[in-house]
Amino acid sequence: MESDSQLVARVQSGDQPAFAELVRRHRAPVFRLAVSILGREFIPEAEDVAQEVFLKVHHAIESFRGDAEFSSWIYRITFNQAVNLKARVRFRSPHADETVLYRAVSPEPGPSRQAETAQRDRALAECIQTLPEVYQSALRLYYWLDAGVAEVAELLGVPGNTAKSYLHRARQLLHGMLKERGYSCD
Amino acid sequence: MTEMEPREAEIDSLLRRSMAAPIPSLPPDFDQRLMRELSRGSQPLDRYRRILLVGYGLMSVVTSAVVMRGQGLDWGAISAAILGPLSLVAAARWAMPHRFLNIGRLH
Repeated sequence: MESDSQLVARVQSGDQPAFAELVRRHRAPVFRLAVSILGREFIPEAEDVAQEVFLKVHHAIESFRGDAEFSSWIYRITFNQAVNLKARVRFRSPHADETVLYRAVSPEPGPSRQAETAQRDRALAECIQTLPEVYQSALRLYYWLDAGVAEVAELLGVPGNTAKSYLHRARQLLHGMLKERGYSCD
Repeated sequence: MTEMEPREAEIDSLLRRSMAAPIPSLPPDFDQRLMRELSRGSQPLDRYRRILLVGYGLMSVVTSAVVMRGQGLDWGAISAAILGPLSLVAAARWAMPHRFLNIGRLH
């Protein structure tokens, strides 16, 4: 199988099928990273980000000199593109409420217990949104999108230990924030 | 994962429960839509825009040169005033191609 850099060289010499192969290889991680930044309320926007990223990559591939891995380059573009879009869509009403989606997969017995859990989940979702972007992204990748620490590290362009420390610090911060709001974590 | 202290384990299990939801994926026609967008971008319309832009640039250069000449500047100064900024832009584009596509650093 050809490496990314071989495919990039082919695209630079005008070979379009090589670009299609690069898209096929990287579309899923690019989309996962975009979704992890935008959150589950903005999945259609994450699709737009993925498309925009590949258009930008196609436009800029001539200037790609291979100083870094192609994958790191494309993930960095994705991160910036998604963060920029997030700043714009922040005030728009989301397509779905996060807590409604939680409830769909984790039903709790008893209406009062359900209401309590829903309230705590809502508080948790609000707390997550106040964390730095990289912490939010790491949390969503790890807990929602089922990514391992290695994948979190690769998508965020950091060493594995840094990804671990993002998760650790995010958990600590969330624990403190929930406690401050009067919720227990058990 | 390494061992967690109890309060971290609590929030870990809460996050696992609370964030569990269906994992989204890209629509199956993503590649086709992307390739359509790409081919649209390289159509004659794109070439037409480029020609317009170059024409506009050339008109600006000529107009600026005529106005500056009218003010009594010599051709050396006029060339420097026009070519200086142009070469700066070209040098910046060459040195930082990523910046022009909004591709900055991650953190």
